[in-house]
Amino acid sequence: MRTLFQVALGVIAAIGGFVDIGDIVFNAQAGATLRYAAIWAVPVGVLGIIVFAEMSGRVAAIAKKPNFVLVRERYGQRLSLLTLVTSLVLTVLTLAAELGGLGFILNYFFDVSTSFFIVVGLLLTVAAAILLPFEGIERLFGYAGLALLVYVAASLKLDPNWSELGRGLIPDAKSSAVYWYFVVGLMAAAFMPYEIYFYSSGGIEEGWTERDLTVNRLNSIVGFALGGVLAVGIMVASAQVLFPAGISSPETVGTVAMVAQVPYGEIGLVLALLGMLFAIGGATIDTAFSAGYNLAQHQGWKWGKRYKLSGEPRFSLALAAFALIGFAIASTGVDPVELTEYAVIFSVPVLPLTYLPVLIAGNDRAVMGPHVNGLLARALGWGYFALICVLAVAAPILFLATNGGS
Amino acid sequence: MFNLVLTVLFAVLLCGCGPMRADELSPSVDTLAFSAADGELLARDVARDRTKTTFARAHARELGEAVDHEAEKLNDAEPAAQVGNEKAEASALADEISTALGQLQASPGDEQAARKTQAQLSKLAERADRLAGTL
Repeated sequence: MRTLFQVALGVIAAIGGFVDIGDIVFNAQAGATLRYAAIWAVPVGVLGIIVFAEMSGRVAAIAKKPNFVLVRERYGQRLSLLTLVTSLVLTVLTLAAELGGLGFILNYFFDVSTSFFIVVGLLLTVAAAILLPFEGIERLFGYAGLALLVYVAASLKLDPNWSELGRGLIPDAKSSAVYWYFVVGLMAAAFMPYEIYFYSSGGIEEGWTERDLTVNRLNSIVGFALGGVLAVGIMVASAQVLFPAGISSPETVGTVAMVAQVPYGEIGLVLALLGMLFAIGGATIDTAFSAGYNLAQHQGWKWGKRYKLSGEPRFSLALAAFALIGFAIASTGVDPVELTEYAVIFSVPVLPLTYLPVLIAGNDRAVMGPHVNGLLARALGWGYFALICVLAVAAPILFLATNGGS
Repeated sequence: MFNLVLTVLFAVLLCGCGPMRADELSPSVDTLAFSAADGELLARDVARDRTKTTFARAHARELGEAVDHEAEKLNDAEPAAQVGNEKAEASALADEISTALGQLQASPGDEQAARKTQAQLSKLAERADRLAGTL
């Protein structure tokens, strides 16, 4: 019964926690630009993140090794340092984009100033990180993020063209560079590296053991899959509202919020804004912790919220420093939507470095014992690793060729 | 090697300093069209009292700022001979869209004014789309 309850809680938290500013922006832009044509990229990306999240959670539960311990062990000194630096840069850029997004959303509620609300957003997330236990953080932001289900309801209410939507589930090899840019962006948004850093470290924070493998499997499969449904909801609703209105490139978070306002009025708008607030707030904490985890794990420091933040000053200071750097970037007035696009697309070249150590450890019987990857996990793991390598080459080329999908 | 890098950088910078061509004007006009269409959608919900006042004001402001930024870029740029008229039309459109969004920002609770703004922005979005089609 306890396991069932834990699974239910974890799944619900994962649904709300899957969507961050990158998913919101890319799914809305893809819907507004291509209608349903790129919808197939979402399940492909979601299956990939399920494969690697389940694997990294299993490695964390059995070998007690989070992602950056694996990076340190499996790569030489230079390559692990390169992986660390690139992952820190991209994670902090993502953190800045999330903080900027928080500032905009809070300002939509109170209309004082975005810069002021970036400070408020930072303070609120810091307070949540300090005051709430680890599971509490995941659940608060995950549950409240479920308000984003308004997009799924909106997409149904707006009566999509089901046959066209069905055709969007099949890739179109002859499509334009813009189409492929969005396909790569949608997959990259699902694969954001910080998600795997946070998931594997979170497994250790929660003290996962062999007994928690079912929880891990269900959290990753059901949680991420249903999170993918939210992403599809945003895309379909955007296709129904923004495409016919001629807004083929939503450049503000407010435009995406209006997508829920059209069918449901003010209540739809408020639910969309609340859902975004908590989903992006959760991602702000995830990214800040991921940066702190990565540095601490790479350097071999004691790390984790379970030691209390005062119990490991180096980890706590690193966490504070990354939060402040993210805040400084967000406070320059940089457009969070644009920053997100850069962070998502330029995270793709780092993906192979992030995912390879998990795959190697998961395949290693000496590390995993009877819980080593089976035939299916191995095949899917290598298949997705090959896909990630292709994306890593294609993403920057498509970004330049399409001028960021415009 | 260092001199070569400097030369390439200088050449790249010079490339960006020539007169504004159609392909450079086009993204600005697209932004104007999107902002007008976005503002029209917002004005429609203001007119029907289906939105939050704080949201309407903040979103109208950010759309207006994006349009003003495009207007500044257009005013700073020297157009190529072939797009002189189009650039002037884009500048005029930017001014009109900015004014309409400014009205929405100033009175986000006025449903009657929002109806007029919606109609204005609808026409402006169409004009911007037509202009984009000529580039």
